[in-house]
Amino acid sequence: MRVRLRTLLLFLLPGFTIVGILYYMLAWTGIVSTMDWVGMAPVWKFAGLKNYRILFTSQRFWTNVKNNMIWLILFVIPTGIFGMVLAYVLELMPRISRVLKPIFFYPLVISPVVTGTLWAWFFEPQQGVLNVILRYLHLDFLRTGWIADPKIAVYCMIVAGIWQNLGFALVLYTAAMREVPSDHLDAAKVDGASPGQIFFHIIVPEIGHATIVVFSLLVLYTLKVFDLVWVMTRGGPGYATEVLPYLMYRITFRQLMVGVGSAVAVIILLISIVVLVPLSKWMMARWME
Amino acid sequence: MRGFGKVIALIVILFLIVVWILPVYVMFSASLKPLSEINSGNYLRPPIELRTENWVMAFNTLKNSLKNSFLVSIPATLITVFIGSWSGYALAIFKFRWKSRLFFSIAIVTFLPYQIFLIPLTRLIVDMGLFNTFAGMILAYVILNTPMAILTTSLFFQTIPKELYEASSLDGCTPTRFYFSILLPISLAGITSAAVLTFTNVWNEFIIALSLSRDPTTRLAIPTLAGLKGSYVAQWNMLMAGAAIVSIPGILVLIFLGRFFIKGLTAGALKE
Repeated sequence: MRVRLRTLLLFLLPGFTIVGILYYMLAWTGIVSTMDWVGMAPVWKFAGLKNYRILFTSQRFWTNVKNNMIWLILFVIPTGIFGMVLAYVLELMPRISRVLKPIFFYPLVISPVVTGTLWAWFFEPQQGVLNVILRYLHLDFLRTGWIADPKIAVYCMIVAGIWQNLGFALVLYTAAMREVPSDHLDAAKVDGASPGQIFFHIIVPEIGHATIVVFSLLVLYTLKVFDLVWVMTRGGPGYATEVLPYLMYRITFRQLMVGVGSAVAVIILLISIVVLVPLSKWMMARWME
Repeated sequence: MRGFGKVIALIVILFLIVVWILPVYVMFSASLKPLSEINSGNYLRPPIELRTENWVMAFNTLKNSLKNSFLVSIPATLITVFIGSWSGYALAIFKFRWKSRLFFSIAIVTFLPYQIFLIPLTRLIVDMGLFNTFAGMILAYVILNTPMAILTTSLFFQTIPKELYEASSLDGCTPTRFYFSILLPISLAGITSAAVLTFTNVWNEFIIALSLSRDPTTRLAIPTLAGLKGSYVAQWNMLMAGAAIVSIPGILVLIFLGRFFIKGLTAGALKE
């Protein structure tokens, strides 16, 4: 339906003013990342790439990058794959799954701060639930410092992350599996295919679109995970469990190095764009059809 | 599925269910126990001595911040969904050049981490004199959630037959009247999905709420709970009661509006 320009603007302007503000903010952050801005009040002194150099030469930044890589591998892949397999298995048992699905969904409506509080207690070294259970089961040799141990703490947080987000992968995969044409499934069943064969040869190829979306959004989650880190360890011990989104906050709002903090934000933006541009183009193709 | 495979699947599912229920079971049972019971290592058994006072005390500590959270998340949700559906309507129904570019530009900002906007957003709120105020937080949440609302509502509106709009405009119905008296009533499901998604997002959000208010009188529930973790050191019963209380709105949303929540989640990501 063609409309007059005035009508079009009347409707588009409110929403797109806000979208415009967001793009303006992106540009603003990019500019501030080249400024020598330290302290509360703005300092517009051009510093070139100094802030980036400060980051790239600091041990702390690379620990953050390493932790983000750990999240990328040990959070994204298990959440995505468990979500896919669980969605399929639950679809095979429709009666049980009506009762079970809400159990995996409810972490989605719980604040990550609550999730962090619960799991922080689980993994607490002295009074933690896990250590107490292990003692109760006479498995004392498995007891350890958990979130107090710099080598293990990141993995504890990833467990909390998976716990919170599995339901998201499950929701999307379930929706995608229901769209698989039933005649494909029926034909395979008539041919005597086992549930495993149906899963690998029909379901997985047919739900490729959900896989792209789920994995991309999980990658983006690793670039914004802040709450769990703040609540569970505050990035510690030392900075052993920090990730880039947390570092950005610390540097900017605690150390007031606004220029360097903006540089971290720009790095997060660049990594996000690598995932987001193909994802958005691909989603658009589906929306516009 | 039958036989051996089914047994293995059931065992794995059973294990997952235990892991998914245990933290919340421990949360509820600990929130009702006296501290002495927790200190003696009784985590898994239900409370021997019921302490409902924990909930009363935690509620009194959180009362003001819970009220603040409602005063911020409800207006933020209403404004976001109104602006989002207003512009989403034009995007879904009208034909114009650059439409796909606009769609693309929204998709990008919808999924970007909040951290990228955090510094300029804080500056904006401070410069407007809205730091520590509800208005400041509402404005910030509206800015951050509108792209998602445009996206979800316009995808819902796309499913409405174009003929409906064409027929009503031939009858002399203006685009504004069409929005209020036809589009909104028939897309109530889509609007509700966008609203439910925005509300849970805002209610549970942490980093923005933490950065935009340092004043205890305007602080929201989630940052207040996060602060309690520092001050209630080792008082796990109180902390768990607080965690349970702030989770109630989200849980109620899932129970009563779960269908809309799930629809909202899948709508943006997968067009059905």
